[in-house]
Amino acid sequence: MKSALLKRDLKLTPEASVSALKDVSFVADRGEAFGIVGRNGSGKSTLLKIISGILKPTSGIVRVNGRIAALIELGAGFHPEITGRENIYINGIMLGLSRREIDSRFDAIVEFSGIGDFIDQPVKTYSSGMYVRLGFAVAVHVDPEILLIDEVLAVGDEEFSQKCIAKIQELKYRGVTLVFVTHQLDQVRMLCDRAMWLDHGEVTSIGDPARVVDDYLQDVSGAMPAPPSPPAAERDPNEEERWGSGEVVLKRVVLTDPKGHELVALGAGTAVVVEMDVDVRVPQDDFVFGIGIYHADGSCVYGTNTDLEGLLPGRLDGPGRVRFMMPSLDLVAGTYRIDAAVHTRNGRAFDYRRGALRFVVGSRVHDIGVYRPKHEWRFDGKIAFREIDNLKRNVPAPMAEYLRENEPKPKKKS
Amino acid sequence: MNELATLYRYRQLLAALTARDLKARYRGSILGFFWSLANPLLLLGVYTLVFTRFFPQQVVKPYPLFLFAGILPWTFFSAAVLESTNSIAGNAGLIKKVMFPAEALPLVVVLSHLVHFALALPILLVAMGIYAAMGQATISPTIALTPFLMLLQTMFVAGVAMTVASASVLFRDLRDLVTNLMQLGFFITPIIYLIDRIDSRLLRALLRLNPMTPFVVSYQDVLFFGRLPAMSDALLMVAYALVSMIGGIFIFGRLRDTLAEAI
Repeated sequence: MKSALLKRDLKLTPEASVSALKDVSFVADRGEAFGIVGRNGSGKSTLLKIISGILKPTSGIVRVNGRIAALIELGAGFHPEITGRENIYINGIMLGLSRREIDSRFDAIVEFSGIGDFIDQPVKTYSSGMYVRLGFAVAVHVDPEILLIDEVLAVGDEEFSQKCIAKIQELKYRGVTLVFVTHQLDQVRMLCDRAMWLDHGEVTSIGDPARVVDDYLQDVSGAMPAPPSPPAAERDPNEEERWGSGEVVLKRVVLTDPKGHELVALGAGTAVVVEMDVDVRVPQDDFVFGIGIYHADGSCVYGTNTDLEGLLPGRLDGPGRVRFMMPSLDLVAGTYRIDAAVHTRNGRAFDYRRGALRFVVGSRVHDIGVYRPKHEWRFDGKIAFREIDNLKRNVPAPMAEYLRENEPKPKKKS
Repeated sequence: MNELATLYRYRQLLAALTARDLKARYRGSILGFFWSLANPLLLLGVYTLVFTRFFPQQVVKPYPLFLFAGILPWTFFSAAVLESTNSIAGNAGLIKKVMFPAEALPLVVVLSHLVHFALALPILLVAMGIYAAMGQATISPTIALTPFLMLLQTMFVAGVAMTVASASVLFRDLRDLVTNLMQLGFFITPIIYLIDRIDSRLLRALLRLNPMTPFVVSYQDVLFFGRLPAMSDALLMVAYALVSMIGGIFIFGRLRDTLAEAI
């Protein structure tokens, strides 16, 4: 079963009304996280309200396939005079649960909200933080198939915000389709599979979240917009995607062993280096180098950057080489890609190379997952195995040569 | 009929919201539910005084019982309709921010006033018992018909409430208009007087045009006079109930899509 939201040709009649959205058309597939960014007044919330059915489009169609829950405003249905407990029931029923379903989730909701004993106090005695926490707790326990979220993750303290994000990731993992509007661009990058940038009700760019966010940031900071990206369908997923202002360029990104020999295939636990040759066209004093390692299925294995690790940028005046040293890359067999980027601290890209390089980890052990911690088995007592071979020592895949020859050549696009 | 199916789906919501409405209304007030009786009881006192002391020749006896039988259904009607004019505008947050069946709002108002009405009936029954014990009244089995009257009246009130609830979002003047019409309505409905005692035939015919007249007269029949409602009144009630429901659903359906933007 595929759930899809489809809309097209949203036009309002010209004279008395303001058209909030024009020719907005997109599909969000089941299990996809779809982010919407844009300035205030660009039509993001209107779009969510139209998808949810709160507003009716003047023209165009919306097709929604699945149980939908919209978090336009947390706790919007709460009544201040009655207790949190009673409000959970009413809010849950409003969101489409039955009384019995709420009974079974009640403890989880209270637990998640962290309201504690206040649950039997009237909601009017709650702090605004408690209010939204309870609202969010109810909404995510509704088990929607499609969840629309409007700018609600910005509420609450840091701890609760983390909890919300973890919960959203869990929902996504369970196949819930997410459409969310936010100004927190790192959340779009982190949570979304695709994103859309709305400007004055029109789609300015749509596709890869990192790219969309970057286009948006370039625009906000007044720089030249990046060239339009080709439609997602035409793109070869193995092809490198690259964008950025070009003020600083990652000329060459390669994976080598510690001695500088280039690698494309390796065994688990090998020492590797990501080497980036940097060219500077415009000197910078705000710059961050970042690395992301992704599994072939798109999930992030690891990501970090110099800013996260507390390296304060000094001066970037001319060409140089950045080396990211990993004494032991403990990955399970599979195909991986590395994204390399240089950007400002607020995320505006100078050069972002998604899939800058690809490599294969080979192994004779068919273990699963992505991370292989260094380990061994030990047995005491009356547990005996027959003599095992030396499988636990990984060997580089014999297909290294073959892969090296067949590796697609990265194309320059900037 | 689609609307009725939707409402059935939302029955838990209606029940929960009605309960919330009642709880929220009386939480923190000492006399609680008796406040909903304060106004009818006050009216009862005033009119009893006026008609038993000032114009004693006019009345049926015992007058307070007669008055009470008419005031309760009237209060149900007028309070529910008046309050529903603000039911949607007063819950703008729900309409604009939550996927919410807007028709639930006026219906919740109607249901919670129906509960008030139902809770006031035992008081009327106690009063009847007291008068019966003094030999001034009799309790007739026709009071068993009261639930049927309540069902028809609820349908009628619900239709009117849905109409004024949705229309008053678009026409703000409607609220003030309804407030004033209710004042007038109290007097053009035979609550404090008996319609048969009016001399002018024309006036009687005009009073019969008031849709609340057959309801109030029928309540007085079954509760006070201990007789069956007139066939004409029964037919009128059924007709008003159906026309009001269908009209209310139709008008609400026409206006629903504009509500979220118009608030």
